Amino acid sequence: MRLRNLLIWDMRFQSRYGFYLLYTFLTLFYIVVLTAMPSSWRGYAAAVLIFSDPAAMGLFFMGAIVLLEKSQRITSFMAVAPLKAKEYVLSKVLSLNAIALVVAMILTLSAGGRNIVAVLVGTFMAGTLFTLCGVIVATKITSLNQFILATVPVEIVGFVPAILHLCGITPKSWGIYPANACMDLVAGREASMIGLVLCALIIAALFRASVGCVQKMWQEQGGVKI
Amino acid sequence: MIQVSNLSFSYTKKPFIQDMNFEVHEGEIFGFLGPSGAGKSTLQKILLGMLPGYTGSAIACGTECNRHDQDFYQSIGVDFEYSTMYEKLTARENLEFFSSLYRQRVRSIDELLSLVGLENDGDKKVTAYSKGMKSRLNFIKALVHDPKLLFLDEPTSGLDPTNSRMMKDVILEEKKKGKTILLTTHNMQDATELCDRVAFIVGGKIFALDSPHNLIMSRGAAKITYSWLDNDIEKTGSCQLDRASEDVTLKGLINENRLLSIHSSEPTLNDIFIDITGKTLV
Repeated sequence: MRLRNLLIWDMRFQSRYGFYLLYTFLTLFYIVVLTAMPSSWRGYAAAVLIFSDPAAMGLFFMGAIVLLEKSQRITSFMAVAPLKAKEYVLSKVLSLNAIALVVAMILTLSAGGRNIVAVLVGTFMAGTLFTLCGVIVATKITSLNQFILATVPVEIVGFVPAILHLCGITPKSWGIYPANACMDLVAGREASMIGLVLCALIIAALFRASVGCVQKMWQEQGGVKI
Repeated sequence: MIQVSNLSFSYTKKPFIQDMNFEVHEGEIFGFLGPSGAGKSTLQKILLGMLPGYTGSAIACGTECNRHDQDFYQSIGVDFEYSTMYEKLTARENLEFFSSLYRQRVRSIDELLSLVGLENDGDKKVTAYSKGMKSRLNFIKALVHDPKLLFLDEPTSGLDPTNSRMMKDVILEEKKKGKTILLTTHNMQDATELCDRVAFIVGGKIFALDSPHNLIMSRGAAKITYSWLDNDIEKTGSCQLDRASEDVTLKGLINENRLLSIHSSEPTLNDIFIDITGKTLV
């Protein structure tokens, strides 16, 4: 019940802070870009767009969300509320993934893609990976500049191998790399089962780490320096 | 409601909170008084379970404060000294959000808003609120889930005298309903008016703990100050109220009807604080 309430409110905050409006404009822009491309390119372009923006939005926006909550001292309140850190993290992951899934579906349809279920599963897995990385980084920073710098390694590790894999530059066996497995699904292709299992394991580990980081951030609002 | 025994805590190797012992009974308003850096906020954070690395025991609502789960906070309300609101949401939306995090039945938001005179401002965004309005909103946020134990940190800070009076009346109303209230303040006037008992805290130690009345009375009776004219020059004298009949000058002035003014004054809690701890409240 509390998770449901939290999720509804997180979506309201995101709407109030213009996330939905921003992604409406971005989606329209991406559709224009996709329709301007030769039809043989659209599938690849849509996969790159989905993977690097809506799926990765959690990585970019968690910094802004957590910094806003820190600046308005909401985190002080969270520390003394019956809210559990895992509910907080789950709500952020699900609310940001909701936007990512809608945008991914629209872009796939406008690029003429058919394997919608695979695209949505891939977007959800990549979105969860990136949002959890975003939560971990965001709990440790005090300014947006720090956040931008701290997310660069995640972007390199997350995007570069996946885009090289999509373009067939790296060997096919690299499909077991979790980001590459997600990219295969986002592109509507068959993904490595080992890669997907590894991805699920990494998501579980990152979820645990992000819950710990949120708990620590709330405690630090109480003055603990660990 | 709260039992603290042999409590010690330190942020560094140097001891900060040292061997504290006290109890707070159900339905009591208990004040922590002390200058900045005395340990009041640290003590409050320990009782809120935010500083788990203490030694000794601190039990709130039947739970050892460093072994609580998040459900511990179902029965605790905290009014921070600063605003903890989403500025882009209205006051009503903020209260709706915060109340959605609790399992128990919550209080009516309209009733809470009118309790502190914000009934006509509930649909304004918090960013448009003045400091005093934010302070009142923050206070009712702590009441939204009708907690048994309430932590108030400088609840009248930034309020004009009318709103300060209103806030104090609301606090006393909540006490009547059976809530236990822990008040952290610099304001001796508030403490005298509101608290059943107060603890003077300086350097992490409790210097005195009693009711404001007992503390005041323990440090001597009220004083009389009087003045008269002597060769067109105003002179003043003073004596203890309970020894007025022994003051020869005062008796002579009364007999000769030469008194210009006469006042009695009791020591304030602030005087007692300075007297006991040797510190002022800054």
